[in-house]
Amino acid sequence: MNAYVRLVYRNLRANLDRVSLFFELMFPLFFIFVQGYGFGGIVPDLHLGNGKAISYPLYLAAGAVTLTVINGGTNAGTQLWYDRKNGMFEQILVGPFNRAQYILSIILATLIIGIAGSLLVFLLALPVLGYSLALNLNGVLLVASALFLGTVFYGAVAIALSVALRSSETFQIVSTFVFFVFLFTSSVFFPSGTAPEPIRTISLLNPLTYTTDAFRAGLFDAWTPTVGLELPVLGAEAAVMFVVAVLAFRRIRV
Amino acid sequence: MADTRSGVGSDLAIDARHLTRKFGAKEAVVDATFEVAQSEVFGFLGPNGAGKTTTTKMLTTLLPPTSGSATLLGFDLRTQGRNIRERIGVVQQQDSFDQGLNVETSMDLYGLLWGVPKNVRKDRIGELIERFSMEEFRRMSTLDLSTGQRRRLQVAREFVHEMDLLFLDEPTVGLDPIVRRTALNYFKEKVREGLSIFFTTHILEEAEYLCDRLAVINHGRIVEVDTPANLKRKFGTAKEVEFRFLEGASGEFQKLLSASGEVDAVELDVASGAYRAKTSKPEAVIPEVYRLAERLGLHVSSVYISETTLEDAFISMIEGQEGGKR
Repeated sequence: MNAYVRLVYRNLRANLDRVSLFFELMFPLFFIFVQGYGFGGIVPDLHLGNGKAISYPLYLAAGAVTLTVINGGTNAGTQLWYDRKNGMFEQILVGPFNRAQYILSIILATLIIGIAGSLLVFLLALPVLGYSLALNLNGVLLVASALFLGTVFYGAVAIALSVALRSSETFQIVSTFVFFVFLFTSSVFFPSGTAPEPIRTISLLNPLTYTTDAFRAGLFDAWTPTVGLELPVLGAEAAVMFVVAVLAFRRIRV
Repeated sequence: MADTRSGVGSDLAIDARHLTRKFGAKEAVVDATFEVAQSEVFGFLGPNGAGKTTTTKMLTTLLPPTSGSATLLGFDLRTQGRNIRERIGVVQQQDSFDQGLNVETSMDLYGLLWGVPKNVRKDRIGELIERFSMEEFRRMSTLDLSTGQRRRLQVAREFVHEMDLLFLDEPTVGLDPIVRRTALNYFKEKVREGLSIFFTTHILEEAEYLCDRLAVINHGRIVEVDTPANLKRKFGTAKEVEFRFLEGASGEFQKLLSASGEVDAVELDVASGAYRAKTSKPEAVIPEVYRLAERLGLHVSSVYISETTLEDAFISMIEGQEGGKR
């Protein structure tokens, strides 16, 4: 069996807690079914562009699927953090692997979790999304690219945080706070274009805005030139963050 | 054991030449030069902070040396790290475990990481669980294990995969005496089958029991490499003569014996009633004990000479070096 397959399988088996994964899925479902319908009666339909307007529950359902991207990303940091705490990081590095294989295996495991989680939430959200979906081949590619790049970005953020923060409590609280900021300054819950300054400016720097916009555009066939710009920006942000994570990872002393 | 083919000119398991590792201005290991033969157990002893773990980390490719070179199983440490890692096993000083898995699954996953086929893993894990007496906690989560149980798992787990050279860094810390002896005997068995071992420990009885040769490191420098017997001969000058009297303790006797030129010190163990005389010439002390006893009307009930231990030799070596430094 290939070294990457062995490492990824091991990361998925050893470092992922089923209870945590279950509750990571519950978060987006809570937003979709409780917040979405709760606010649905008072929030008017929202325009996505390309002449498409959707209800708030639909708007939020699409956003909540991308929320699993953040959750998946957090897992990358958790995997590395637990391996360092439990001595498995060094143990693996004295085995038939190198650092590059190890870190890539974490990113790959994170992608699997992020994309599988998004698909699962998407399936569970189908009663809400229902017949409003207008998914074509271009849309599928857009959705897949958005989820892939978003997971890489947030996985890299979590890896960098887990390298910097050695205490369990600090890692948990700081990563929760950082992802909370990303979440509420993005277009997951509301259209960032209508938000007041400086939230609007921050949202323009926030990769989750681009992930969510591209995801919605793909899902509801609402492609606009703006989305066409957002995707390369998301790709660039993911690449930069990946390099930052790799540099941080290389600094880990054994 | 694994396929014994190795790199070019690999009749040595380890051939270290002038290995040096600095952390900034601090020299953790300086000019370490030693060889470990195939199927040899090579002990690495030294006080805390002497450079043992840094040396182990360099040899296991975790830390690059600042200067010097080494080959392991014929592979170059600097350029063939991957080849080396494929052929070694490492039991680290610190705990290492996958949390949340049970013991058996944890061993299985470790074997899978090493690419051990499933049926081989199954047989080997069954054997190891039995050999290391882990039956009663084989289904327990690694998080619920005691320190000793977790250590047992860590040691046993390393034998799920094949290797030619094993690094053991304080492997028996936390193990009870019975399991410790089981582990040491298992290591010996594997050495007879061709395994080479680089063994770091603070427990000198273990080093003496297991190791063919020992290196003593202090302040980052190797000060001696020899067999345990030779180290004791070279550095174990102080011996002890222990004796008892039927009549019990005698202050007068202790005073007279202490005044004799052959004895460094005489101590009374009040609990057992035994005298212990430190000397480098026990053959001269014993007649003196009988002579003084007769003079004082005492009857010697037992007498024996305690051998120099490796611990005595080790302490003498380190203290000698520290004295030299001062």
